[in-house]
Amino acid sequence: MKSKATTYVFLAAAIALYCLAKAAAVAVSAQPAPAARDIKIDNFTFGPAELTVPVGTTVMWANRDDIPHTVVSTDKAFKSKVLDTDEKFSFTFSTPGTFPYFCSIHPKMTGKVVVQK
Amino acid sequence: MTSIIFAKHAQHVVLIHFPIALFLTAVAFDYYAQWAKDKGVASAAYLNLLLAAATTVPVLTTGLAAWAWALEGQRLKGTLLMHLVLGIASSVLICVTYWIHWRARRSPTGTLPTYRLPLEAVGVLVVALTGHLGGILSGVNVTG
Repeated sequence: MKSKATTYVFLAAAIALYCLAKAAAVAVSAQPAPAARDIKIDNFTFGPAELTVPVGTTVMWANRDDIPHTVVSTDKAFKSKVLDTDEKFSFTFSTPGTFPYFCSIHPKMTGKVVVQK
Repeated sequence: MTSIIFAKHAQHVVLIHFPIALFLTAVAFDYYAQWAKDKGVASAAYLNLLLAAATTVPVLTTGLAAWAWALEGQRLKGTLLMHLVLGIASSVLICVTYWIHWRARRSPTGTLPTYRLPLEAVGVLVVALTGHLGGILSGVNVTG
């Protein structure tokens, strides 16, 4: 009789834990998805060509092209090494402003990151 | 001033066409001259080779300048490295071919050595490969 009660207690605890975990998962998924902070380099273009982010955001450029590219800020705020296919470069924008950039191998490729307070 | 002169390093992309065209024409003329025993065409081949060798200097200079300024001389790999190595090899082959012709013209017999012909063929191949990689890098040639 005692072991049957213990089983019920464990079962109830397990169900309660499951419900808690499920509720937590729902709460997490209900939070707003983080805004896009990634810029894809493909077919000789930066996508999106213009990205607006809050101060402190880390933006990551990923080269999905078959050609090597670079990410170079016009005002020399940041500069990547040559990025081969699937290589990435990240930069954290700690000050507000507009940061135009280009690929130094293919200067016609341009983009812009707008950093807001 | 540097950024204005070397902005977008288009000079290399423009100048590269001269040694390519001149060398390919020179080789074609030289092969024809060898086959037809035509001294006039052989002279045309020589002049084309002279100009091809001369134009490798600004091409190499602008290419290395693009590496130095646009990429700040960083360590190259992949297509860029291959293009650099083959570009230097192309320039050397063009200049060596010209030197062989120059030396033969100054010799008493004026006879061109036969071994120049396979060397010129290799030169054409290396120039073509270098140009192909350059085309991929500049976006003229599409990969895949």
